[in-house]
Amino acid sequence: MIWMMMIRFLGAFGAVISLGLLLEVPKKYLLHAGTAGGIGWLVYQVVVLEVDSAPMAAFSASLMVALMSHIFARRLKAPVAVFLISGILPLVPGASIYRSVYYMIRDMRTLSDRYLIQTLQVAGAIALAIFFIDSLFRLGQVRGKRS
Amino acid sequence: MLVETAALAGEIMLVSGAEIYRVEDTIHHILSLAEGARGENIVLSTGIYLSLDDPEGEAITMVRRVPDRATNLNRIYLANEVSRELCARKLSVTEAYEELLRIREQIIYRPVFKQIGYVGTCVFFAVMFDGSFLDCMAVLLVGIVLAMALTLARRIHFNDFCAKVAASFFIGVTAMGLESTLLPQIQRDTVIVSAIMPLVPGVVFTTAIRDTLNGDYSAGVARMLEAVVTALAVAAGVGASMGVFRMLIGGDRL
Repeated sequence: MIWMMMIRFLGAFGAVISLGLLLEVPKKYLLHAGTAGGIGWLVYQVVVLEVDSAPMAAFSASLMVALMSHIFARRLKAPVAVFLISGILPLVPGASIYRSVYYMIRDMRTLSDRYLIQTLQVAGAIALAIFFIDSLFRLGQVRGKRS
Repeated sequence: MLVETAALAGEIMLVSGAEIYRVEDTIHHILSLAEGARGENIVLSTGIYLSLDDPEGEAITMVRRVPDRATNLNRIYLANEVSRELCARKLSVTEAYEELLRIREQIIYRPVFKQIGYVGTCVFFAVMFDGSFLDCMAVLLVGIVLAMALTLARRIHFNDFCAKVAASFFIGVTAMGLESTLLPQIQRDTVIVSAIMPLVPGVVFTTAIRDTLNGDYSAGVARMLEAVVTALAVAAGVGASMGVFRMLIGGDRL
């Protein structure tokens, strides 16, 4: 079990770093982005096992990734987007949007609809989680300025 | 000059795939450096309009069309940095402009690293999707084909859509070729889905929803359409390769 989790973590870590090369993440932030991505994927796996709902899992995982990105961004004085965009890469519904369109082309309506709805749910969950953490941190900033 | 700097900064950020509100925010900050004048800007996902209204003179207006976009986090980061320094008056407008021009051309990773990035993405996603060892090996081969196809497509100046169709066609052909000859025990679905991961528009789709949540409805819809079109390109490529294979082999269980 733990062994499997380790392998999955490494998979996500490597995937984020490789995609980081394509998205031109600055060299000094690659490892941090990879860590955020790997941990996000772990959270996703654990939540999917517990509640068996992809949007819920994506939501919790993105909360984690967004939180880590904000912390990294504060620590390293870099914009949040650098860690955020690369961190959510494993969670993002790329495969299901492809499947939805693929089944649409092959005229398999039910499957296409199912994947389309899953895409919308997962993307919505991720966006909400990011929005939530962003607002939370902005609240903190306003407080900090006043005091 | 100030307006030009603002337009350039906005252009770089928009081309690199930043969220709309961030682009508008940056332009707004730079324009507000002009004292006594009122700056406004509208950013759509395909272009920027900005104008600086000087009470004593004529208004300066600028329009920038942004033809194609590719996510580039480094440029977002650097452009952001420059605009922050400019607003803190650590840089003069001319210096900032030259810096931005340099940023627009900057590439950190050489093409070799890009190829490694493509192949690595494919293989590691196969690991994430619980592929077996053989699956990962198959994906390694398919990933190399993908990287070659993309490089070739870029060299003969294919547009984005065609390049993606061609690349995913080759992914499909290679994956099915491997399955029917060398490695019959691989899971074709896992191999194909992992291999298309570098092409697929997951981030664009999520950014679209984030833009929509931020109230940028036109940008949100435009980005969502962009994501659907990209997915269509990939699905068309893979679908075409399956069709070709079915014709060649005949009566495959697809």
